[in-house]
Amino acid sequence: MSLPTDFGPDSGGRVKGLVIVKAIVYGNVARYFGKKREEDGHTHQWTVYVKPYKNEDMSTYIKKVHFKLHESYANPNRIVTKPPYELTETGWGEFEIVIKIYFHDPNERPVTLYHILKLFQSPVTEGTPQVGRVLVSESYEEIVFQEPTQLMQHLLNNVKPITNGPWTHDTDFEDKKEKTLEKIVSAQGKVRNEISELKDKLHLAKETIAKFKDEIAKLQNNPASNLLSVM
Amino acid sequence: MTDILDILDIEQPSASEVTRDSIIHGDKNKKKYVTAKTVRRPEGMHREVFALLYNDNKELPPLLPTDTGKGYKQNKAKLGMRKARKWVWAPFTNPARKDNAVFHHWKRAADEAKEYPFAQFNKQVSIPSYSESEYNQYLKSEDWSQAETDHLMDLCQRFDLRFIVIHDRWDRAAFRDRSIEDLKERYYNICGILSKVKTNPWSNTVTLVNGEKRVYHYDADHERKRKEQLKRLFERTQEQIDEEQMLIAELKKIEARKRERERKTQDLQKLISRADSGSNTLNTGNTNDVSNTPTNAANMSRRHDRKLHKKKLSSQQRPVRALEAVTVEWSGIKFPEARGTGVWLRSQRMKLPPGVGQRKTKAIEQELRLMSIDIAPTPTEAICKHFNELRSDLALALDLKNALASCEFELQALRHQYEALNPGKTLTIPPSICNTSTDVESKPVGEIIDVVGSPSAVNNTI
Repeated sequence: MSLPTDFGPDSGGRVKGLVIVKAIVYGNVARYFGKKREEDGHTHQWTVYVKPYKNEDMSTYIKKVHFKLHESYANPNRIVTKPPYELTETGWGEFEIVIKIYFHDPNERPVTLYHILKLFQSPVTEGTPQVGRVLVSESYEEIVFQEPTQLMQHLLNNVKPITNGPWTHDTDFEDKKEKTLEKIVSAQGKVRNEISELKDKLHLAKETIAKFKDEIAKLQNNPASNLLSVM
Repeated sequence: MTDILDILDIEQPSASEVTRDSIIHGDKNKKKYVTAKTVRRPEGMHREVFALLYNDNKELPPLLPTDTGKGYKQNKAKLGMRKARKWVWAPFTNPARKDNAVFHHWKRAADEAKEYPFAQFNKQVSIPSYSESEYNQYLKSEDWSQAETDHLMDLCQRFDLRFIVIHDRWDRAAFRDRSIEDLKERYYNICGILSKVKTNPWSNTVTLVNGEKRVYHYDADHERKRKEQLKRLFERTQEQIDEEQMLIAELKKIEARKRERERKTQDLQKLISRADSGSNTLNTGNTNDVSNTPTNAANMSRRHDRKLHKKKLSSQQRPVRALEAVTVEWSGIKFPEARGTGVWLRSQRMKLPPGVGQRKTKAIEQELRLMSIDIAPTPTEAICKHFNELRSDLALALDLKNALASCEFELQALRHQYEALNPGKTLTIPPSICNTSTDVESKPVGEIIDVVGSPSAVNNTI
């Protein structure tokens, strides 16, 4: 009897039917200097980050996080190998940051996130932005490990809490999830009602078209009787 | 030989070959080749480029023009080196002519007298002949007298079956005027009969196919019709031509319209069946929901969901279809199924498949904005599922709206047609079909169904 290899590139090493979901939060915070810095024209300090949604130490399964900045930055490819997976920089403009997360098992392909670095409130508030007020722009995401390798399963299931204190986020995602779902579901009902109405109308329209055609055909085939009916 | 060896980079075998060159030049040639060989083509340089740099003598190309030879300046062409031969003006006779006429032409004095070569092109047609008894036995005709037939055969012989000429030379004083078709018909008829009767077939009317006699059959009726047709075509007036063009164009238009209409009805049929299956999944969707995520949010939404469905079902008064009929077949957009293994992001599930066009994507996003739903909502499993379903439904609704608009247009067109055929009367389009965008919200569903049930609205006015 041959046992399937424990860890390896072949699918034999994958755990059939298992799905593990890890929720994360990624985004940036930004703080306005209060003025344009003389030497380089930078106006903000910002920090882009990837952090776990729950109180978990992601380093058990994440090997490294690759932040790709705008090319105008010196050395735009920044790699963070230890938590916290974050990067602080200064700048004057918004751009898209490509975040690539690599896992310890090389058989699991890295995943790529795209985040638009946000520095300015939208819509732009009147007057000058307040000094020191921190702007937060973050998103919720779920990494789905579909049939992970056994190594990955082991790593994913053995995460330690990252802190003994409470683990919170600036954005209340639970509330957001609930409200979004509610809104979508109610919209779904509305649209489906509309669809059935439209369908009925279409049926009616089709029937009416057929009827009209019949009437026209009658007229064309039998002009005499039509004349009679007119009289 | 050396060239191909060169190309293939094969070393020249050392003088084992005996060529004309090697015999003439002896050792000198061999030596030269070897020296040329010592300069090898650098790695990666094309052969053609190398050839420009180095010729076999390893000489650099000259810097100054060296065109000192005669080149194109030679003013007298060197033609053949043989002696000029004499031409003479000589008489000749053409054996194809029976009158022994003598003509002259130029020919080489050296050439011996030969038969005039173009005589062979004077081909003779062999016209069948018949005896008196043969005529009486086989060739009698009610329409043709023997004298007339003889005249025809004579003309055929004289003019080599050029029926246009035969027709022109026809003795109209002795015989009645006949058409070319009549003449041809009689002639080929005679040929056919005689070839069957006689043993010696005439080459131009009978061909042997697989050892079987094939007699050329002249279809006079067809020929007459053909000529008549051509004549008529030729004699059309400009008005007639114009009319025909116009009618053809009209026909094309009508056919195109017909095809278009058929296509639309088919699309419509598909759409309706899709919509049916869509509503089925909706009716049974509840059972799926219950077994799903036990989160608070989902619970709440489910209650909400069910309430909505119930309301809808009661108001619609349509029979709930059997469960087995439910196939999650089509509902607007088909999102790709989850892939096999690996890591992926939940939000990827919400990407519209590439099949959805730009315009449709825009329209769906517009609708979402109207309902103040984020076009990229927080990606949880439940939200992904419902969000995809919602967008799928929106796409379907948009399709239906478009279909309805085209139906409305068709109804208008039909009504105009009816009014034109039957002046003073009209057909009434059920009001619920019109103005799709405005009164959807305001009208209860029941009212619309009622209209479907009573076609009297249409009939009353007729």
